[in-house]
Amino acid sequence: MSLTADVIVIGGGVIGSSITYYLSKRGKRVIQLERDYFNSGASGSCDTMISPNTKEPNEHLQLALYSVELYKTLSSELGRDIEYEQKGSLLLIENQEELNIMEGIVKKQNSLGLNSRLISAEETLRLQPGLNRDAIVGASYSEVDADVNPFCLNLAFADRAAALGAQTFTHEGVQEILLHNGAVAGVKTNRNTYYAPIVINAAGAWAPIVGKMVGLNIPIKPRRGQTVITEAVPPFVHKLVNNARYIVGKHHPELLKDDHSAKARMGIAISLVQSRKGNVEFGNSREFVGYDTSNTYECLRELIKNATRIIPGLKDLNIIRTMGGVRPHSPDSKPLIGFVQGVPGFFLAAGHEGDGICLSPVTGKLVSDLIVDGKTDVPAAAGFDPNRFNLF
Amino acid sequence: MVPNEDEIYVCRCEEVTVGDIKRAIAAGARSVRDIKVRTNAGMGVCQGMTCRKNIERMLREAKIDLDVCCTHQRFTVRLLNVNDLTAITNEEGE
Ligand SMILES: Cc1cc2nc3c(=O)[nH]c(=O)nc-3n(C[C@H](O)[C@H](O)[C@H](O)COP(=O)(O)OP(=O)(O)OC[C@H]3O[C@@H](n4cnc5c(N)ncnc54)[C@H](O)[C@@H]3O)c2cc1C
Ligand code: FES
Repeated sequence: MSLTADVIVIGGGVIGSSITYYLSKRGKRVIQLERDYFNSGASGSCDTMISPNTKEPNEHLQLALYSVELYKTLSSELGRDIEYEQKGSLLLIENQEELNIMEGIVKKQNSLGLNSRLISAEETLRLQPGLNRDAIVGASYSEVDADVNPFCLNLAFADRAAALGAQTFTHEGVQEILLHNGAVAGVKTNRNTYYAPIVINAAGAWAPIVGKMVGLNIPIKPRRGQTVITEAVPPFVHKLVNNARYIVGKHHPELLKDDHSAKARMGIAISLVQSRKGNVEFGNSREFVGYDTSNTYECLRELIKNATRIIPGLKDLNIIRTMGGVRPHSPDSKPLIGFVQGVPGFFLAAGHEGDGICLSPVTGKLVSDLIVDGKTDVPAAAGFDPNRFNLF
Repeated sequence: MVPNEDEIYVCRCEEVTVGDIKRAIAAGARSVRDIKVRTNAGMGVCQGMTCRKNIERMLREAKIDLDVCCTHQRFTVRLLNVNDLTAITNEEGE
């Protein structure tokens, strides 16, 4: 077994696995290390949406649109069905104030290349029957939005990378990063020592802990999301369904400022999808509670209240389980992707918050471009440079 | 007649066989959750009530140390109607 490589990737979530795959494809020798099992972090406790429609119309949307293009051929490229399906997504608009703001957002999205449009309540109901007519005034709709099975996606990346020669080790956590004259030289795990001149920190919400190993202060914080999953039922949810309120609130935080309800405090949104097998997944929250991934009754109550108000038919379904995970939150909600100035060889690829599934292919491509070519054709890549923050 | 062992269902809800679990272990799975991610065993309506013990036994037989004797379960561990949960959580909160 070789203990040296060109690049070491820390983390076995979708970001680490995508990077491992794209680097292996470019001929790099990669060692990937996951302290637990694949998908043990956020990538195993999330929704399934590839949804440019929910992105702010800035660099973030450009990155998402690039990812959407990569997704179209990903199943065949990886040689495995990742359950990618273009379904289209709805952002439900609940009042006139939200509608006015969404008009502006849709215009900006269009100018960046996303064909979203505003539709009436009637058309919304045609696309997604079962919605409560009284709860909405309309929606914005985007056709290219899709969903994917994150378990299959992550394993498809990792297994394909392994077939290309990458060495992936699970149940092996990085405990120390080795430096030589200030530059990265390798890592020490609970089992072994590995050597490489480049180490990529793709540890998601745990990236700050890994950053500390080389003296960095990475401004990523865990942000919990809780979800509810029902037993498999016949097709019921045809679109990806979200609340427009979330993106509206990002543009006009003052609208949410005076809302002190439990719902606003926990950042409750509907986030409704149905998997290919038929399980309906709904609800998600945005809470800063450290690394605690447990479920709380208070949050589940609000999730269910919000979801059944919008789709009353959900009341008849049976829940089989609940879920909680921590997203890697970055202060400007954009991921941090690039070499860290001041620690030669240390590369950061984390902070994808609620978009890591969507952004995993483009992140892998971007990272491999930067490492192999020193440049990239991914648009707006400079906007994700980690050195925009003071990391020391 | 004894059927081919590999074709026996371990997880009936998700239709996962002995062979599927063996392949997951060969691919590096070392815990019940690891196997869940690779095969979906344990993700069905009964949430592993039927299959979990057998999967743990297969892991032990493959000489894999279980770091936990009892895999943590999130609620619900029983099927629960959305409407009923609304009622229960309301009582707790009000
Ligand atoms: C409820 C919820 C819903 C979501 N819905 C969506 C959605 O619909 N669409 C979307 O695009 N995104 C969604 N997300 C966000 C998405 O899940 C994340 O952005 C993405 O999974 C992040 O991937 P990651 O690889 O960076 O992190 P993770 O998946 O958390 O992976 C990091 C890995 O690093 C490992 N690790 C940590 N420290 C070490 C160490 N020292 N050594 C070795 N390994 C280590 C961890 O064990 C972990 O497996 C959702 C998230 C949540 C919580
Ligand atoms: S038998 Fe495995 S989940 Fe029910």
